[in-house]
Amino acid sequence: MSETHRISPETIEERLEVVTDPELDRSIVELDYIEDIEIDGGSVEVAFTLPTAWCSPAFAWMMMADARDAMAAHPAVSTARIRLRDHMHAAEINEGVNGDLAFGEAFEDADGEVESVRRELDGKARVARQYRATESLLDGGLQPEQIARLRREDLAIDPESSRATIRLNHDLSVCVEAESLERYLEKALATGIADEAEKRLFVTPEGEAIQPSEFETVHSRGRLAATNMTGQGHVCENLGASRIGSPSD
Amino acid sequence: MYQYEGEDVFVLDGHVHWWDASKDNISHEGGEQFIRCFYDYHTGFTPEERQWSLEEYRKYDKERMVRDMFGDGHADMGILQPTYLNEFYTEGFNTIDRCGELAEDHPSRFIVNGRFDPREGEAGLKELERQAEEFDVRGAKVYTAEWNGDSKGWRLDSEESFEYLEKCAELGIKNIHAHKGPTIRPLNRDAFDVADVDDAATSFPELNFVVEHVGLPRLDDFCWIAAQEPNVYGGLAVAAPLAESRPRKFGEIMGELLFWLGEDRILFGSDYAIWEPEWLIEAVMEAEMTPEQREEYGVELDLEVKKKIMGENAAKLYDIDIERQKEILRDDGVSEEFGLAEQYGEGTAVADD
Repeated sequence: MSETHRISPETIEERLEVVTDPELDRSIVELDYIEDIEIDGGSVEVAFTLPTAWCSPAFAWMMMADARDAMAAHPAVSTARIRLRDHMHAAEINEGVNGDLAFGEAFEDADGEVESVRRELDGKARVARQYRATESLLDGGLQPEQIARLRREDLAIDPESSRATIRLNHDLSVCVEAESLERYLEKALATGIADEAEKRLFVTPEGEAIQPSEFETVHSRGRLAATNMTGQGHVCENLGASRIGSPSD
Repeated sequence: MYQYEGEDVFVLDGHVHWWDASKDNISHEGGEQFIRCFYDYHTGFTPEERQWSLEEYRKYDKERMVRDMFGDGHADMGILQPTYLNEFYTEGFNTIDRCGELAEDHPSRFIVNGRFDPREGEAGLKELERQAEEFDVRGAKVYTAEWNGDSKGWRLDSEESFEYLEKCAELGIKNIHAHKGPTIRPLNRDAFDVADVDDAATSFPELNFVVEHVGLPRLDDFCWIAAQEPNVYGGLAVAAPLAESRPRKFGEIMGELLFWLGEDRILFGSDYAIWEPEWLIEAVMEAEMTPEQREEYGVELDLEVKKKIMGENAAKLYDIDIERQKEILRDDGVSEEFGLAEQYGEGTAVADD
């Protein structure tokens, strides 16, 4: 068995890194939601605690379902289970996610499924990530109207060097750090933006092409989406800190 | 009255409660969950030495509230915002009649707001008339995620809601404070979505819509709507405590609010008893934006701006002439009890010309 196929708390954590808190757009590993990882042969059970017992059940559900899927994708895992602790709906969520139920089946008074909530939050995360990607392009010397016009095919990311190349025309390319663009592209593709070569790379929060005259407004709205997410992140951290009794910074 | 760098800062706390979450008053587990959730917010943001016990927090008496607000708390006045939650609490959590008792004792200190819920039909409209008549309310608090039978919330832009907003306009209830804050319950967050404010604000230009908690965690949706609707305001409750624990983040949020709304449409609120105004007002008054933030947003959070946020903006919405009000406060029972008269200037010095 190769190293990547062996189950260990580290490899499980690595798998969970891709799972994000949908409201904050940050990894649940980085956010320290993992409490405990139990491995018994091919069975894995991971316990989680969220910053507050009142964390929206829809958000909690998404994180737990995504966590279970991410673990189950590990080739050496035969059974993956989650255990959410200290949440007002821990019972419904644990039973529902581990039992492969739909959200609407687990919560009989739920108003629909979680997919619409996920789409909305993914959309916001995309806008915030666009802000950061655009910032790096502005820092790299691109002009707003050049950024507004970019198409998916103008961007090439080299994972080896972690550099991104932006082709402005036949003769001119600009090279920048790839990270923010890579993160942006991931969320853009997940929300159906820039998923074909000739489509615009960046769009308005509503998904429309950006007119050069509205670049500033779109960029400010991206900043606002990022401020909202990090602001909410601080609120959650404070709630979480008070809950586990550790001081906030 | 709060003094900052030798200047008077009139504080009209735009969001305060006098609630009863004692065990005797809880009729549904939601009531217990609700107060515990509030308590998490209290302990999550209150400096440790200022935290209350859960028992104190469930129910506090009038005397304590008056002392916390005005005796020690730097506030000059407060707006009582009712929250009924009749499905959770036998006598309601924080009703207008309960708030009215406080306002009756201290009419110069408290403004009492009404409250409505369009799912209550004709009876609710009648009740709104009663509130206007008995309490002379100029504003109303609405809680769009409140439970009511099978319903887990309502929208400000619904037909029923518009009927109520029309009634508000007719009765002179011109300030609609919508709680659009952290998701507590119900299951999905749609009931605290801020989108419904947009259409309501467009349709009722004669009313002002104060979005409490600046929509957090939907600051982005809120600011974008407020940027387009001149009669939409932002209440700082929940954002304000970040001034104490996360000053840099607070500066950023203020940067966004000043950028999108400007300095005339932001209102301070302590959300008492979630937080006490004393440390909160001090923290907000001390808060500064970093030079990078000032440059990024192109706005200033200086003393003049803070004075607007702390009281002048709310005073405008509630037709309070601050200079005239100071004269009233100087001679009221609260000033007498806590020895505050001097803060409001000498009585004889007013008629100097």
